Amino acid sequence: MEIVKSKPSSKLSMKRKIEKITPYLYLVPAVILVVIFCIYSDFFSLIVSFTEWDGLNEMQFIGFQNYIQMFQDPNFLLSSINTLIWVFGTLLIPVFIALLFAIAITHVKTQSFFKIVFYLPNALSQTIAGIILTTILSTYGLPHLLGVMGFESLAKDWLTVPYINTLIMVVSSGWQGIGLNLILFIVGLNQIPKEPIEAAIMEGAKGIRLYTKVVLPLLKPIMLIVLLMSLVNSFKSFDTIWVMTNGGPFRTSETLAVTMYKEAFVNNQLGYGSAIAMLLSVTVLIISWFLLRDTFKGEE
Amino acid sequence: MKTYTENSRKTITILLSFFCFLWFLPFLYVVINGVKTRKEYNLGEFWDLPKGISILENYEYINDRIDFMMGFMNSLLYGAIATTLAILFASLAAYAISALKIKGKMFWFMLIYSGTIFPFQMYIIPIFRMYSNVDLYDSKIGLLAVYTALCIPFCLFVLRNYFYSIPKELVESAKMDGASDFKIYVSIFMKMAKAPIAACFLFQFTWVWNDLLFGLTLSKSAEARPIMSSLSLLNGASGTNDVPSALLAAILASIPTFFIFLVLNKSFNYGFPTTSK
Repeated sequence: MEIVKSKPSSKLSMKRKIEKITPYLYLVPAVILVVIFCIYSDFFSLIVSFTEWDGLNEMQFIGFQNYIQMFQDPNFLLSSINTLIWVFGTLLIPVFIALLFAIAITHVKTQSFFKIVFYLPNALSQTIAGIILTTILSTYGLPHLLGVMGFESLAKDWLTVPYINTLIMVVSSGWQGIGLNLILFIVGLNQIPKEPIEAAIMEGAKGIRLYTKVVLPLLKPIMLIVLLMSLVNSFKSFDTIWVMTNGGPFRTSETLAVTMYKEAFVNNQLGYGSAIAMLLSVTVLIISWFLLRDTFKGEE
Repeated sequence: MKTYTENSRKTITILLSFFCFLWFLPFLYVVINGVKTRKEYNLGEFWDLPKGISILENYEYINDRIDFMMGFMNSLLYGAIATTLAILFASLAAYAISALKIKGKMFWFMLIYSGTIFPFQMYIIPIFRMYSNVDLYDSKIGLLAVYTALCIPFCLFVLRNYFYSIPKELVESAKMDGASDFKIYVSIFMKMAKAPIAACFLFQFTWVWNDLLFGLTLSKSAEARPIMSSLSLLNGASGTNDVPSALLAAILASIPTFFIFLVLNKSFNYGFPTTSK
């Protein structure tokens, strides 16, 4: 652009201009792609969230109507509660239990064996883990075993039981997702300097007290990353639910991400779908603010 | 004192082994039942060992039912090409930000990195609309472009951090020898960054391979559909009740990521970049 604007002057200054501009060319492909797909999308979603739009007819600007509608929509409210269940479930299994396992693993001799087994489900995608656990929970799988063992009342298709299926899916997702956090915790625990711990042991700290008072505070940086990463991901839970129950029966096991998808692409309410996406984004942004604040501490 | 720790270590080992077994059970189930025939699975017990191997029949079934192989090849293509392009574009940008004379380095970095901040739910409606308007919906190019764009921010983050660690003297002396900016990018920065580039490739390939959301939103025919979207057709109301075939599909679709798992397994102890995708 600047070349065009500049008056025809000596060849030297022209060359200098080009030299000044060329470094920016390195940014072009990345910036164009990110602007088209990410930044444009963010603004587009923001605008659409204030409209009523089925994707075919003209957009109708309706102000905050979509946001008001949310709080009167029983599907949305149930979906929010389910999302919170997912968030707490994630804090329990892939964070808290992962931490317990990690501490236990650092105390045994065959560390790498345990690490690999717990990490193994992570080599599957959430979709695949969902398919596998669905088949295990289907008629001839685990329910059949329970029936054979004499618990006839337990031999049913658990994924079609409202509310309970959400809990089952949270556990399934924990089975798949515990590995990465576990590894990060183990890395963190192994990196903790030995001196403060030995000093604490000398002073008589042991067992649980040793961990809550000495070790865990030292693990805080990694704990923070794991915690926030897991929180953000749990708010966005989609794949597992999509393949295991598809949000059913009667939309009882949807999370916000699933509700958003269904409103937009099944019910053709692009405006309402965008509003849910916005709400989800704001929630995630608030959480990741804490993560980013730590990541960029000490940055330029 | 010593016996106390020895005993508790034993207890811990036993407890851990129990949970390990629990964690491993689904894999046993998959391997035992993925090779049975549907009839054998439905009539027998799932803990019975298979009487024969009927992988071929099951494979034909999933190919018929969900065009398994096509989805598999599509995802390989998306994973390989999108990730490579993303690394190329991200490395160019990271080079400009970390080594070239440009204004507003932090601004450019944040502009590109902002792509990781919002959940993908923000993107699917706008991209779906955009693609419907320009005829990219349900096309390979369309999905490739999306995957490339979404892989860039993470790669930029990793590569920029690495590029900052490259000593300035190296660059200076190359400049003295008359090397152009682009030559320095190729022969110093890219050459030294092999390890972070490999990490980016493995992580982003895994992400593209595992993606379900964009595949669902932006494709409908088997020609463009990635593997996870194909697999998702196996479950639910429109799905199958052929458990062994579904399990075989699960095994086959996990091969690439399992391979990556083995590669990454070696670098466990160094800790690896945390990806929030």
